[in-house]
Amino acid sequence: MVIIKVVNLVKSYTTYKRGSGFKETVKSFFRRTPVPVRAVDDISFEIEKGSICGILGPNGAGKSTTIKMLCGALYPTSGSVKVMDYSPARDRAKYVRKIGAVFGQKSQLIWDIPPIDSFAMNKAIYGISNEDYEQRLKEMVRMFDVEEVIHKPTRVLSLGERMKCEFIMAMLHKPEIVFLDEPTIGLDVIAKTKIREVINEMNRQGTTFILTTHDLEDVEQLAEHVIIINHGKKVFDDNLSKLKSTLGNKKIVNLMLAKPYEGDSIAGALVIRRNNELDISLEVDLEKQNITDFMKTLTNHVDFKDISVKELPMDMIITRIYNE
Amino acid sequence: MMSHVKIYLTCLRTSFSQAAAYRADFLMSNLITLLSNILFPLATILIYTNGAEFTGWSMWEVLLIQSVFSMSSGVATMVCSSILWVTMDHVRQGSFETVLLKPISPLFFILSAHFDTSGIGLFAGGLTLTIISSVHVGVVAFGNVVQFLILFLAGLIVLCGLDLVMAAISFRWVGNSRIPEIFDSMKEFGKYPLVIFPKGVRIVASFVIPVAMVGFFPASALLGKIGAWTFLSVIPCVLFLIFGVWIYNRMIKLYEGVGG
Repeated sequence: MVIIKVVNLVKSYTTYKRGSGFKETVKSFFRRTPVPVRAVDDISFEIEKGSICGILGPNGAGKSTTIKMLCGALYPTSGSVKVMDYSPARDRAKYVRKIGAVFGQKSQLIWDIPPIDSFAMNKAIYGISNEDYEQRLKEMVRMFDVEEVIHKPTRVLSLGERMKCEFIMAMLHKPEIVFLDEPTIGLDVIAKTKIREVINEMNRQGTTFILTTHDLEDVEQLAEHVIIINHGKKVFDDNLSKLKSTLGNKKIVNLMLAKPYEGDSIAGALVIRRNNELDISLEVDLEKQNITDFMKTLTNHVDFKDISVKELPMDMIITRIYNE
Repeated sequence: MMSHVKIYLTCLRTSFSQAAAYRADFLMSNLITLLSNILFPLATILIYTNGAEFTGWSMWEVLLIQSVFSMSSGVATMVCSSILWVTMDHVRQGSFETVLLKPISPLFFILSAHFDTSGIGLFAGGLTLTIISSVHVGVVAFGNVVQFLILFLAGLIVLCGLDLVMAAISFRWVGNSRIPEIFDSMKEFGKYPLVIFPKGVRIVASFVIPVAMVGFFPASALLGKIGAWTFLSVIPCVLFLIFGVWIYNRMIKLYEGVGG
């Protein structure tokens, strides 16, 4: 069942070109050159209820603008957004009651007081009953393991602790959809793992998640549906396995050579990375030769001390899709 | 309605918790505001002790206008001035979406969640001087007090309206830190007997941007110096507030955020 339907979504605005240096600054003070920006350029997609969808893209691609329009915080310039039959910006007050959002770089917690006080404020705003609030808070605090943290002032919390509390803040009212904008940005591995665990657990309970991220591990560990945006346009919209196979059936072979090798390819495989003269990576196209044949040819061509065979890394796939 | 009262009270408690987080700052800022408001009428006292005057107004009557002005500004600071600096701050930093994510009116949320305790000192200073001035000007009739309360409320409405209009402008003119100064200068007209100003200023201050309602009209009511026509000025006050709410809500649609 489709829960989010986006059709021909556009968000454009005008910025002004300002010169650098004194002369240019004075000039732009009197005459500014308008620069039209199409942050989101005719994007359409659908997201299924109960799924986790990752929206990927480089900086300035339009991910955050898209998610803000999905949250009802920004009005689209044109096109339509339907989420659970709501038009997010137009029906904002009713709609946001059904969603939660975590903006990794914008806190919803109150800086000087403990998160528990911010939670109490959300309880009143969302009209959560005492019973539901206590039950939900207990459950979320257990999941994130933050029993003591929620009683300390937000300003003294580590980034990881604060993000966990941001999640609790966003999910206390049991939203059907949760939007996460860069939820793991700047976090250490332990905090990231905990947050991913909770997202997966909440998803199993039926919550739909839409996340924008730069962290490909987030996508690999969470999202089955991936949308890639670049320069405001959608460049990929399918499942994760399709994304991985989009560049063909390829493997990466890392070799630790016994003696230096200068060539651009070995045994029909391209040298794609040289960490030093002995440590190199090859890209093997399995549509041209199978891995057994490649290994046989390889052992005939070069001596090596160590070898590992891996899947094409996500960052490489994404980079190539961006470049295309 | 009840849920809004509940939200407001909860947010009010949160605001006090925030203010109390820095006790020294909370106490010092209120003490300084209180002292500066007690010292503020020195200029008026100096004018009168040097033989000059505002024609037709005694020193204590002028001090009463100025102390009512301080009380009004104090209440407005506590209740509604947050809408200006919170909106400006969110728009500049591109974080207004955290306000829009709340399932209530953005205006109501900001007003509820940002009760400004620094207005307490201003109000207390104004109240103290109002009492002292009232004692000096003589007995105030009950009817005058009722009229005062109506006009005082209208003055608060004007101040809220001004804050709303300024906040609305900040959606379009991001980071306009000088705009509040223009409006602050306008408010100054409410601090003195209106009769000392030219006719054009009196009309504007009474009916267009009715800042006379902030200090002059309510104080005049206490002194029994107003006519029935003064209450006509309540209408533009209400219209000013309605305009403020309308323009603020309309300007929210212009919010563009910043890159994520």
